[in-house]
Amino acid sequence: MEVKRDILWRVYLCFLGIVALSLVVLGKVFYIQRVQGAYWKGLSDSLHQKFVELDAERGTIYSEDSSMLSTSIPYFNIYIDFGADGLREKNGRRFTENLDSLSGCLAALFDDQSAAAYKKILLKGYRTVDRYYELQSNVSFEKYQKLRNFPLVRQGRNKSGFIAEVVNKRLNPFGLLANRTIGLARANAQNVGLERTYDTLLRGESGRRLVRYIAGGTYIPVEGYEIEAENGKDIVTTIDVNIQDIVENALLKELIDNEAEHGTCIVMEVATGRIKAIANLGLQPDGTYWEDLNYAIRATEPGSTFKLATLLSLLEDKKISLSNTVNLEGGTWKISNRTVYDAEKHGKYVVPVKEAFELSSNVGMAKLAVAHYSTNPNQFIDHLRKLHLDRPTGIDLVGESTPVIITPKSRTWSATALPWMAFGYEVLVSPLQTLTLYNAVANNGRMMKPYLVSSVQESGITVKENQPTAIVEKICSDETLRQLKECLIGVCQDPEGTGTKVFKDAFYKVAGKTGTALVANRSRGYADHIYQSTFVGYFPAAAPKYTCIVVIKNKPFAKKFYGAAVAAPVFREVADHLMSTSADQEFAATPPLTKDSLRYCYAGRTRDIKLVEQTMGLTYTDSAGSTDYGRLYASTRGSQPVLNREPVSRQMMPDVKGMGLKDALYLLEGMDLRVAVKGSGKVRTQSIEPGSPLQKRETIFIQLD
Amino acid sequence: MSNTTTIERTPFSGLRSRTKGDKVIWTAVVLLAVVSLLVVYSSTGLLAYKMYKGNTEVYLFKQFAFILVGVMIIYFAHQVNYTVYSKVARILFIISIPLLFYTLFFGVKLNEGSRWIRLPIINMTFQTSDLAKLALFMYLGRLLSKKQDVIKDFRSGFLPVITPVAIICLLIAPANLSTALLIGATSLMLLFIGRVSAKHLLLTIGVAAIPVALLISAAVIRHSANGGTTEKPKVEGKSGLFVRVDTWISRVETFVYGGKEDNGDNSYQINQAKIAIAKGGILGLGPGNSQQRNFLPHPYSDFIYAIIIEEYGMVGGIFIVFIYLVFLLRSIRIFRRCPFAFGAFLALGLSFTLVIQALANMAVNVNLFPVTGVTLPLVSMGGSSFLFTCLAIGIILSVARNVESTEGGDAGRTTASTGKEAEPV
Repeated sequence: MEVKRDILWRVYLCFLGIVALSLVVLGKVFYIQRVQGAYWKGLSDSLHQKFVELDAERGTIYSEDSSMLSTSIPYFNIYIDFGADGLREKNGRRFTENLDSLSGCLAALFDDQSAAAYKKILLKGYRTVDRYYELQSNVSFEKYQKLRNFPLVRQGRNKSGFIAEVVNKRLNPFGLLANRTIGLARANAQNVGLERTYDTLLRGESGRRLVRYIAGGTYIPVEGYEIEAENGKDIVTTIDVNIQDIVENALLKELIDNEAEHGTCIVMEVATGRIKAIANLGLQPDGTYWEDLNYAIRATEPGSTFKLATLLSLLEDKKISLSNTVNLEGGTWKISNRTVYDAEKHGKYVVPVKEAFELSSNVGMAKLAVAHYSTNPNQFIDHLRKLHLDRPTGIDLVGESTPVIITPKSRTWSATALPWMAFGYEVLVSPLQTLTLYNAVANNGRMMKPYLVSSVQESGITVKENQPTAIVEKICSDETLRQLKECLIGVCQDPEGTGTKVFKDAFYKVAGKTGTALVANRSRGYADHIYQSTFVGYFPAAAPKYTCIVVIKNKPFAKKFYGAAVAAPVFREVADHLMSTSADQEFAATPPLTKDSLRYCYAGRTRDIKLVEQTMGLTYTDSAGSTDYGRLYASTRGSQPVLNREPVSRQMMPDVKGMGLKDALYLLEGMDLRVAVKGSGKVRTQSIEPGSPLQKRETIFIQLD
Repeated sequence: MSNTTTIERTPFSGLRSRTKGDKVIWTAVVLLAVVSLLVVYSSTGLLAYKMYKGNTEVYLFKQFAFILVGVMIIYFAHQVNYTVYSKVARILFIISIPLLFYTLFFGVKLNEGSRWIRLPIINMTFQTSDLAKLALFMYLGRLLSKKQDVIKDFRSGFLPVITPVAIICLLIAPANLSTALLIGATSLMLLFIGRVSAKHLLLTIGVAAIPVALLISAAVIRHSANGGTTEKPKVEGKSGLFVRVDTWISRVETFVYGGKEDNGDNSYQINQAKIAIAKGGILGLGPGNSQQRNFLPHPYSDFIYAIIIEEYGMVGGIFIVFIYLVFLLRSIRIFRRCPFAFGAFLALGLSFTLVIQALANMAVNVNLFPVTGVTLPLVSMGGSSFLFTCLAIGIILSVARNVESTEGGDAGRTTASTGKEAEPV
C-alpha cells in the first residue's frame, strides 16, 4: 500500500491544482464582471449599436403645369463580393457554372464590353478575392431590374456576392430648359438656382435610426429609437414649360446666328410678376450654348433701356412734356471733355422729346438730364430710388447682384456722371430689374415683385403659397404713365422708332425699348467694341399680358449689334408664339366657331400639313420642327401662316381641337383612350380639357363640326 | 425547454434499475446534458438561420439525438468489463497512429488545419485527435500499471511510457498545436501521478519547452517588427505547415499583446466573450436571452462557457465548475477503491483529462489561455468529441461498476484478475 499512498498524495496534489485553476477561472469571471464590467458593456453597445442616417427624399421641382423640372431618380452602383460564402463554396462551383452565361448577359445589358472581357474581369476578381469590386456605377432602375434576373445574380446577395447600392441622382427631364434657374443639386459642389434657394425645403430632414448588429452583416432597428426622415417638400414654380421652350429656342437661335457670348431672356406675367420663363445661355468652350450662369440677375450697364427711368423722372417732376423739343446736335455733344455719341448716326438737331426717346438719342437724354438736374442731381437719383433701381428685386434666387446707382456723395461721382446715367451708363442694373420696371409701366404703375415659386407642396398638399406682391403700389402718376406708354409704343411703330422695323408687321402691338450698350471689357475698356443688345417691352400694348426682356452680349466687333437688330427679333419670336397661343386659347374658349377662313386653324400631323402646304405652293413659317403634331394658324396680320408645334405628351390630354377625325382618333386611341364621336368635320370640342392628366381607358367625347 | 428535460429524464429513470456504477457521476452527466440542451438550443439560433432557414429546433433535436446516442454509449461501455479496455487501448492506440498520419496529409480542412477525417458511410467528420487522445490515456493507464515496478528507471520505465505520448503529440501538433500541448500536459500530470521520476518529467518539460519558447520569441520579434501592431501579415504561396506556424505565432502574439482596441479576429472573439461574461452578472440574462451568441463565433462549442455565464450568470458558471469538480472527486474515489492498478489509472487518467479539457475551455473563455478550439466536454454541441467523451465516461463507470461489484461480493475479483493487471496496488 506504500505505492498506493504515494500515488494518492500525487492525485490530491493534482486535484488541488485543478481546484486552484477553477478558482482562477472563476476569479477571472468575477474580475471581468465587477472590475471591467462597465467597460465591456459599453464596448458592446458601441460595437453592436449605431445610428444610421435615414436619407430624406429630395423634393421635386415642378413647372406651373406640373411637369417635373427636377427630380430625384434612384441609380444603382453594382459591386461584387467575390468572397461571398455561397459563391466560393464547393470550390466555387456556383461561380464557374454561371460564369459564361453571366458574362454574356452582362455584355448584352451594359453593352460596353464583350462577354469575354466580362469573363476576364469576373475571373480576376474571383482569383484575387476582391470583396468590393465595382462592376458598374449609375445603373438605371430599368437595367437593375434586368440585372436582378440574371443567372447567379438572381440567387441573391449571399450566393452571388452581388451588392447593389442606391444613389439618388438629380435629373432634369427637360434638360436645358431653365436649367440654371432650376439649378443644380450636386454632391460635391454648392447648389445653384432654385435648388439652392429652396434647398432647406427640398432637402427635408434626414432621420436617425438606432440599429443593432445581428451578425451576418445585417442590422435590425432597435424599437423606439427612430426618428423618421422627413422627405423634402416639392416646389411648384411659375415656369411654363411651353413658354420656356419657346424662349430658350428663340434665344439660342439668335445667339448661334450672331456668335454671341451670352444672352438672357425673361418673360414675366404683367399682372402678377410671375416669371413664366427664364433662359440664360452662355457660349461654352466647345462652341455650344448651355445654361451656365444666371445672367438675368447679374447687374451690368443697362444702356438705353434705362432712358425710361430718366424720362419718367423728367415727366413726373413736370420738367418737360413730350412735345418739348431738344437739340440732338446731330448726334454728338461735348460735355466736360467727354463726348456723348448717339448709337446711330441720324444728323438730327431739334426734335420733340418723344422722338428723341424713340430714336434712342443719348445726346437728347444727357442734355435733358443736365438741363434739369445738374443743380440738384439728388432729385433724379431719388426717382431711381423710388423705382427700387438701387436694390435687388428680391426674387427667390440666390446670387442676385446688388445694383449700383452712384450719388453725388460717391467717390466715383464726376461732372459727367449725371448725363451718362441719363442714358444708362455709370449705373449697374440687372436685366431682371429693368424688366421689373417696364412691367410696372405695363401694369399701370404697380411694380410687382418678380417670383419663381408659386407654391410649396408636401405630398401633393400645398403648404405654402406665394401670392403676387407689389414692391411699389404706384411708381408715378397716371399722366406720366400714359406718356411713357405712348413713347414705348412709339418706339415700335413710329417711323423714327428703333423697333419699328421689327414690329411693324406684327399682328399685335408691342411697347418697348431697344438698348445698345458698349460694354467695357475688363482691362481693355471699351476698345473691343463689345455691345450688349437689349430689347425690353410688353405686349399686347393695349392690354399688356407679358413683359419680356432680351439681353444679348455680342462678341467683339460683331457685325450686328444694335438692340433692334439682335435682341428685338428674339422678343418678336417669343411674342409671336405667345400671342398666337393665347389667341388660340381665346378662340377655343368661344365654342361657336365662325367659319372664317382667316382665323381658321388646321391641326394634324405636321408631316401631312407640310405636305399639303407644299403641294399647294403655300409658304408658311415653320416653328414646329420635327414634332409629330402641329397646328397651322392662318395668321391674319402676318404675311405667312405659322405652323406651330403641338406638344403631345404621354401623360397629358392633347389638344385635338381643329383636327380631322382620322388624326384625332389615331392620336387619342394611341394613348389608350376610348373615343366617342359625334358629328362630322373637324373637332370642335373635347370633353377632357387639353393638358389634364391622362387616365387609361378613360372615355373622351369629341364633337365634330 | 423544460419539457425536453423531463423527456430526457424519463428514459433515464427507467434505466436506473439497470444502470450501475457511480450514481453521482451519472447525475453529473445528466445535469451537464441538460445544460447542454438549453445552451445549444439558445446559441444555435444564428447557425440554424443560416443553414436551415430559421428552423432552430433542428439543432435542438440533433443535440438531443447526440445525448441519446451518448447515453447509450455510456450504458454499453459501462456494461463491459473494464479489463477488456486494456487490450482495446492497445489496439486503438496502434490504429490511431496511421489515422493521425492520414488526417495530417489527407484530412478535411475545417476552419484551419487539417484535423478531421470523414467517415465514409455515416458521412460524419470526426477529429482523429479525439480518438487518439482517448486511446493514449487508456494506453497510458495500461503502461503505468504494468511498469510500476520499474517506473523510476529511465530506460525500462520512463522511455516506454513517454514514447507513445511523444508520438501522439508530435502527430497532432502540426494541425492542432493547442490540443497537442493540452494532451502533453495532461499526460505529464498522469505520469507524475503514476510515480514517474520528477527528474525525468522536468527533463521532458525542458525539451518540450524549446519549441514553445521559440514560438513565443517569434511572436515577440514579429510584433516589434510590425511596429507594434498585431495585424496578420498576408501569407501566400507557403506550404500548409508554414501557414500553421504563422497562425500559432499570431495567436500567441494576440494573446500577449492583444489590446482591447484590437479588433482582429482573435481579440474579436475574446472581446465578445468578455462582453458576454460582463453582461451575465450574477444571475445572468436568463435562458435564451443571450445577445452575444450573435457575435461570438461558435457560441455553441468553443465559447459556450461565456454564453452559459451570460445566460445563467456567475451562479451558472460556478455550478458548471462545481459539477466537473464533483465528477473528478468521484473518479478519485473510484481510484481509491479500485484494487487494480489498470482500473485505477484508467479512471484517473480519463477523468483528469476530461476535467482539464473543461477547465481549458473555460480558461480560454475568460481569456486566461490563448484562443484554442477546445470544447466543453458534454456541454458543447455534438460531434465526435461528444461521443468520445461519453465513451470515456462509460469506461470510468465500468471501473466503478466493477469496484461496486467487487465490494458487493468480491465477484469481480476473479473476472478482473488477468495476469499482472490484477495485481493490487
